Amino acid sequence: MKTSLIKTVSKIALVLIPTITFSMAATAHDPKMHAKKVGKADCSKMGHSKMDMKDPVVIAMIKKCKKQAEASHEKIDHSKKDKKMDHNKTKKIDDKSNKKAGHEHH
Amino acid sequence: MKIIKLLLLLIALAVGTSATVMYSGIVDVAADEPHSDFVYWLLEETRKSSIQKAAQHIQVPNLDDPELLLMGGADYEFMCSSCHLKPAQSESDMSVGLYPAPPNLAVSNDEHKGHEHGDDIQAERNNFWVIKHGIKASGMPAWGKTHDDQRIWAMVAFIKRLPTLSPEQYQILTAVE
Repeated sequence: MKTSLIKTVSKIALVLIPTITFSMAATAHDPKMHAKKVGKADCSKMGHSKMDMKDPVVIAMIKKCKKQAEASHEKIDHSKKDKKMDHNKTKKIDDKSNKKAGHEHH
Repeated sequence: MKIIKLLLLLIALAVGTSATVMYSGIVDVAADEPHSDFVYWLLEETRKSSIQKAAQHIQVPNLDDPELLLMGGADYEFMCSSCHLKPAQSESDMSVGLYPAPPNLAVSNDEHKGHEHGDDIQAERNNFWVIKHGIKASGMPAWGKTHDDQRIWAMVAFIKRLPTLSPEQYQILTAVE
């Protein structure tokens, strides 16, 4: 009885320990982890007047800010769509409840 | 026969002296106690020559790609800035506490005290090699064990531009959306 229990525990440990170790190693270098520490780019401080548009640093900053702006626009669009969807749902629900009420009156 | 005896005696003396120094505990390994000028020079020259030789045939890619700066910026902020600092920062707990002190990469090569970099291409080769392989007993890890060459070149590209960046530019380039 004891030996089978020990065997089972050791088997579980054999599977779990490498799994946990590898999954931790995989997340350790996930670039998404960086986001938690650094936060968003502050593009409001990017002065356009003195910029050399051929400088790789300037191009990189513009790319970053453009990407960030597009991402935030998409978020806004999605939230608007969600709201519209909610309205549609409520309309349908309202219609259904009205129909039900109408049937009851008949 | 006499020469062999003398040689054996010298070897025994050298081994004995080394063992005495090793096991007596007289060598101070504390990071807040600097090496003597001679020992520091010996280690620095050894380190420089070793990196120079190991890195001399590395092919440097085009480091002016803006995408490399964006990739390298995020990694620099996460992996390097605590020791090698960022624009408008002169010290951190790590930069003060480590010995030998990690170089401040946010200032230009001319402002680095105590060591020269050689030409730009060799400096980039050296940076790539050091990031990839690390340096023994210095606190510099071998990032090549967990990062591919492209990500390391991105860090080299970012480090190349770092001394010219303002704190605002640094913040934008290192942010992750």
